[in-house]
Amino acid sequence: MISIMQSIIATPAGQIDQLVDIVAPTWAQFILWMPLISLVLCGLCAALKVKTKAPAIITVISLATSFVLTLMLYFGYEGAEVIHIFEWIHVHWNGGSFISDFALYIDKLTLLWMLFVTGLGTLIAVYASEYMEHDVGKGYARFFAGVSVFLFAMSCLVMGDNLLMLYLGWEGVGFASYWLIGYFYQRPAAVAAAKKAFIVNRIGDLGLALAIYLIWSTFGTIQYDGISTALAAHNNDAATFSAFGGWTVHAIPYLLMLAAFGKSAQLPLYVWLPDAMEGPTPVSALIHAATMVTAGVYLIARTYPLFQLDDYALPIVAWVGGLTALFAATIGMAQYDIKRIMAYSTVSQLGYMFLGLGVLSSYGAAYHVFTHAFFKAVLFLTCGAIMHGFAGQLDLRKLSGLRKMRGWKIVSYTMLVGCLCLAGFPFTSGYFSKDAILAEAFVTQGSGFEILGWLAIFTAGLTAYYTFRVWFRVCCGPEYYEPGDELHGDDPSSFHPHPPRVAINFVLIAIASGAIIAALPYFMDNETKGINGGWVAEMVHDSPARGGVPNAVVAVVDGEHATAHEGVANAVVDQDHATHGSILGMDPHKAMYYISGVVGMIGLGFAFFFHLARRKAADSLRNKLLASRFTRWLPIAMENKWYVDEFYIAVIRTPLWILGKLFALIDRGIIDGLLVNGIAGTPRAIAKWFSPLHNGAVQSYAVSMIGGAALVILLMMFMPEIMSFLQSTMIGATP
Amino acid sequence: MLDRLWFLIPEFILLAGAMVCAIGGISTFAPIRKRVGFIASIFLVIALFSVPYVYGQTDYTHPETMLPGLGKYIKMMAAFVGLLLVATSGGLIDRGYERAIGAGKDRFDPLRANSGEFHALLLLSLTGVMLICEARDLIWLFLALELVSLPTYVMVAISRWSKTAQEAAMKYFFLGALSAALMLYGFALLYVSTGTLVLQEITEAFSAQQNNGGLLVIAQVGMLLAIFGLLYKIAAAPMHLYAPDVYQGAASAVTAFLAFVPKTAGMIAIILLLSTVGWEDGLPPAIEMALWVVAVLTMILGNIGALLQRSVKRMLGYSSIAHSGYMLIGVIAGPELGLPAVLVYLFIYGITNTAAFATLASLSRGGKRVDSLEDIAGLYTTSPLAAASMSVASGSLLGIPPLFGFWGKLLLFAAGIAAGQISLIIVAAVSSAISAWYYLRLIGLSLLSNPHNHGERTKVTLRWPLAVAVVGACISIAGPLVLEGVMVDAKEAITLPESELAMSLPSLEVDDERE
Repeated sequence: MISIMQSIIATPAGQIDQLVDIVAPTWAQFILWMPLISLVLCGLCAALKVKTKAPAIITVISLATSFVLTLMLYFGYEGAEVIHIFEWIHVHWNGGSFISDFALYIDKLTLLWMLFVTGLGTLIAVYASEYMEHDVGKGYARFFAGVSVFLFAMSCLVMGDNLLMLYLGWEGVGFASYWLIGYFYQRPAAVAAAKKAFIVNRIGDLGLALAIYLIWSTFGTIQYDGISTALAAHNNDAATFSAFGGWTVHAIPYLLMLAAFGKSAQLPLYVWLPDAMEGPTPVSALIHAATMVTAGVYLIARTYPLFQLDDYALPIVAWVGGLTALFAATIGMAQYDIKRIMAYSTVSQLGYMFLGLGVLSSYGAAYHVFTHAFFKAVLFLTCGAIMHGFAGQLDLRKLSGLRKMRGWKIVSYTMLVGCLCLAGFPFTSGYFSKDAILAEAFVTQGSGFEILGWLAIFTAGLTAYYTFRVWFRVCCGPEYYEPGDELHGDDPSSFHPHPPRVAINFVLIAIASGAIIAALPYFMDNETKGINGGWVAEMVHDSPARGGVPNAVVAVVDGEHATAHEGVANAVVDQDHATHGSILGMDPHKAMYYISGVVGMIGLGFAFFFHLARRKAADSLRNKLLASRFTRWLPIAMENKWYVDEFYIAVIRTPLWILGKLFALIDRGIIDGLLVNGIAGTPRAIAKWFSPLHNGAVQSYAVSMIGGAALVILLMMFMPEIMSFLQSTMIGATP
Repeated sequence: MLDRLWFLIPEFILLAGAMVCAIGGISTFAPIRKRVGFIASIFLVIALFSVPYVYGQTDYTHPETMLPGLGKYIKMMAAFVGLLLVATSGGLIDRGYERAIGAGKDRFDPLRANSGEFHALLLLSLTGVMLICEARDLIWLFLALELVSLPTYVMVAISRWSKTAQEAAMKYFFLGALSAALMLYGFALLYVSTGTLVLQEITEAFSAQQNNGGLLVIAQVGMLLAIFGLLYKIAAAPMHLYAPDVYQGAASAVTAFLAFVPKTAGMIAIILLLSTVGWEDGLPPAIEMALWVVAVLTMILGNIGALLQRSVKRMLGYSSIAHSGYMLIGVIAGPELGLPAVLVYLFIYGITNTAAFATLASLSRGGKRVDSLEDIAGLYTTSPLAAASMSVASGSLLGIPPLFGFWGKLLLFAAGIAAGQISLIIVAAVSSAISAWYYLRLIGLSLLSNPHNHGERTKVTLRWPLAVAVVGACISIAGPLVLEGVMVDAKEAITLPESELAMSLPSLEVDDERE
């Protein structure tokens, strides 16, 4: 007990100056510090009420520096390494310790994530510098401070060398997300959305906190290196782990999963993400599409070996992902707000990523994260540009023919690029990354993955449909618009759309090009022989996502089908995964090119028919469905998001609210009224009782002092006599 | 003889400073008169830096005192906190008088100028604290304690020209004399029971008595009487009654002085006296029980008394009573963990308490000294700096993590638990929780509440005390970074000559394990 206390006491001094083991490039830590510096400067700008675009310039420069440093780190990469910054938490006690350094762990998975996080972060900050300009001098600095906080936290999350760093970043991005969703804090909807995002995420965060605790208690460390060493020592096998881990090794993946589902908006915790669109659009693009929501994918990829310790963990991830993809796609089909459609599409695409992780295609998942970051960012940013130009109008029924309007060409065509990628149009980046996941669903056998594969293919068709529904409605057809309600004092009758200027157009082109180029890594040669999937596969290969130790699972993860085909399977963990599945009697990898291409084209065709060629048909179809008693539930339920929010309110929020009121009553009546006030009142009553003692007369003080001293001394001196006297009288009284 | 004198160099420096201040204060040359406080500070700085030099010399051995290492820690602490205290009283004495002379409305009269005397007395009192560490016999101890106390009586009297201050000085003097008599009676009984006045010989006599079946009753009574006399100095129950009145009556700067200097002196004297009995086999039950009762009473009465006060100074006065109670836990716990914790706590308490009183000293409302809770309501509107330092100081006194005060309390409570004094720790924790009420009230009033509408706003009128408050608040925040160093120093200070066991510090070898 005492030694614990003393070691706690000994630590706050935190020998910050002891920068030990500097072997790795120390400048790499500035990837982390640059956003923090930017935060401080933006905070200063806010405090000094700067009325210029200085916060944007500061943020862009610092994020660009981070990006350049990440590039330097990537090109100078020689192998996974730990960059020690300072000792953070060191608690020792007899026979145990808890160590968490503020250190960075750089491997290729980290670099993959950091490249698009800092790269897109920089570009979106440039975009925001123009997008947010109506707030210059008001919330401008606050906005960029929020972006800086986010980038700092995200860097911690991705680059940290232990789970506590990840947790710091995890909470940090959650906080930044809250900050930025609630940016327009005058709007009740924004405040409600911010709260919802934060509270729903807490459920996941609880899982992460518990998982970290269990990992520490099972493996004795929370450092990635330490965990893989511990795993390697036990041959990555649940059976041998149960010797000292017991149930914990089985609980850990589910808790981590809960965290990932919360942050990455999967069933059943996805409800916060669509509402998060209340934030400014650059935030939606950066945090709620490209980067933060992929943190769950990162978490699972980073702790992949732990998921393989339980037989059902990864299949559950796959099923949740697949069902989320389908579910969100059906909702997205029936929405009219284009930003909301993109939000549901994000949930759906994240579902694909989890499906990829679940069916042991961590490479596919990572690749989809990578391509999705680009094409979803460009889609959101075009939505933002439209919103910006049409005074907040986002209803696809009230916008049409944007392609032909002056100054909207770049927006229209970059949106087309994004839509093509999202729809999985052949030879776009989204096509390759989605195919990698879909094919793997058929390759990896077990737990109904084949059904899941067909569901995912069906979802791909829906995706193509709702994506092009947006593009055909908004960008094609006759020119028509109605301004939204954010007119900033303009008269609705004299309203003219203001097309985006240089900064936004530049960023749109840059990210759209990125979305196109993101197809290239698939064909790029990689240094490691024997893996297909190109550059991204290599990035994943060199990380725990591949699996820290050789086993059958890893062989499939890598796509090393050569070995799997030959039946060379170290079938310790999962014999099912060792055999190679097929689709309709063909090799899934080849067949999927055709199947998903065709499905995508079908979806696109439907969209073309209903939303460009004969727009009236869509409305009449909806009316027909509504007219029939048997089918009317379908459009209503889809348009109302399957009533999930209402369900949660009825089943979770209302009972909790009632319980809360009840507790409040108990608290106020019994605990506050009787206990607390009673306890608090006692000392005051005593104080009142004692106050006559302090009557200010020196004589009475003297008497009290001497009397008190005499009393205590006499008591102490004659204690034995008093005790024996008392005893004797007691004994004398009893008989 | 030379050895003894060598270790008294810091005291001599302060004594010289006192002389210079006393003479400088009646100089006809106004700039010198006005800078007496500055002169006193210079001597304190010299004394502060002389301590490590003096104790760093290996040519001189330190004979015959009970705790040879104690001087280094206490003298540095006294000089450092003394500096803060001198700055706190900056602008207090002779302010109006000097202004009148400057404006040509009055003439300088050495008999009416108090600044020199005040600073000389302040330095003399600090000299007394330092001398206690070097006490080798009871006579020395008594004289040093009186050197601490006597100047404070005068300081209270001349700090304010008001009836309350004079009344406070009178009470303080009378009751002080009474307690000194009690202590002297105790010393006499100790002499009777051991036949010597030298502390080390008393130790030997006591161990002889212990071997013969326990301390003589007369020795125990003597020890208890002496300790009760000393309890007056640390304002512990039942000798605490004077504290609220005197603390309220004196000017804030002097109150800060009273709350630290005599308390330090009393604490060290108690530690020295008890070390003659030794903690190795536990204190004699009568003494331990008496201290237990005193500690419990002090904590409870101090914290409960503070609850109903409307005067901030009175409230802080009661709070300082409670802090004595916490420190007594360390005294009971013994040399291994408890006494170092007491020394660390004295340092932390000295700084944060001085910061709290310095904030009050810097403020005035409508030309009057600030005292009531209404005066500090909404302080943040006129002086955010004062409000912030007040809040930090209160938070540290309450022991909110991670402020300095929290670590001090943690050390004391940990020592108590290690010594098995669970009941004492429960009382401490409960009374500490009660204390949250009035400390948080200070924070809430100064940071959150609205200023009272009627009357003038409270303003900062004196800069030096505010500077002290800010420095104290900064130390309260940044202090935990140097906590380990302070702990090591405190451990070194408490090194009982006989028991080498106390030297082994298992807790502090965390660093080695870490490798």
